[in-house]
Amino acid sequence: MSSPQFDPVPMAPSQGAGSTTAAPAPAEGEQQGNPIRDAIAEAIAEHRVILFMKGTPEAPACGFSARTVSILQSLDTPFAAVDILPDPRIRQELSAISSWPTIPQLFVGGELVGGCDIVTEMFESGELEQVLS
Amino acid sequence: MPSPEELKQRIETGIPGSLAEVEDLTGGGDHFSATVTAEAFAGLSRIEQHRLVYGVFGADIGGPIHALTLKTLTPTTISAP
Repeated sequence: MSSPQFDPVPMAPSQGAGSTTAAPAPAEGEQQGNPIRDAIAEAIAEHRVILFMKGTPEAPACGFSARTVSILQSLDTPFAAVDILPDPRIRQELSAISSWPTIPQLFVGGELVGGCDIVTEMFESGELEQVLS
Repeated sequence: MPSPEELKQRIETGIPGSLAEVEDLTGGGDHFSATVTAEAFAGLSRIEQHRLVYGVFGADIGGPIHALTLKTLTPTTISAP
């Protein structure tokens, strides 16, 4: 069984991928607790703006994720990005934490702001810029 | 594969007093767009409003319903015809 790995990639404005954060290694033998859920909760707490998406900001794998990324980039906001595709458990645990069924999911200051629809609406109304500042 | 009509019925049943307009975005029966107007949304944040609609479908979201784009409105935000 492969170890749960995801690397939140901090995206500074006008920059490529920065340093990565490794997820905690699973315990040998019996699984204690829920390392993926813990790693997700930690990432959300650690990064002020974090986007869980399909694919990466350079290569989004879905239109909704792509649109959300381009909105964040147009606001020149630094953000961390997590690709949920490598491991289906990431999406499962994320949805358990956020009570939200779809991807992408944008968190700001530890709270779920929304998916593509909400982010787009807030961007158009100017609310998103305020939430991010 | 659900139809837009079926999704509309499920939303209006699941959120009493709501009015839903549902469109199949791709014609493939799995990418939908819904505009839902409901008194029940009053006072709720967008996230909470969307959660109410997603809640109607439960585990179908991400399964048979691959994508459901939402716009939620309260009756007062609609201008009179």
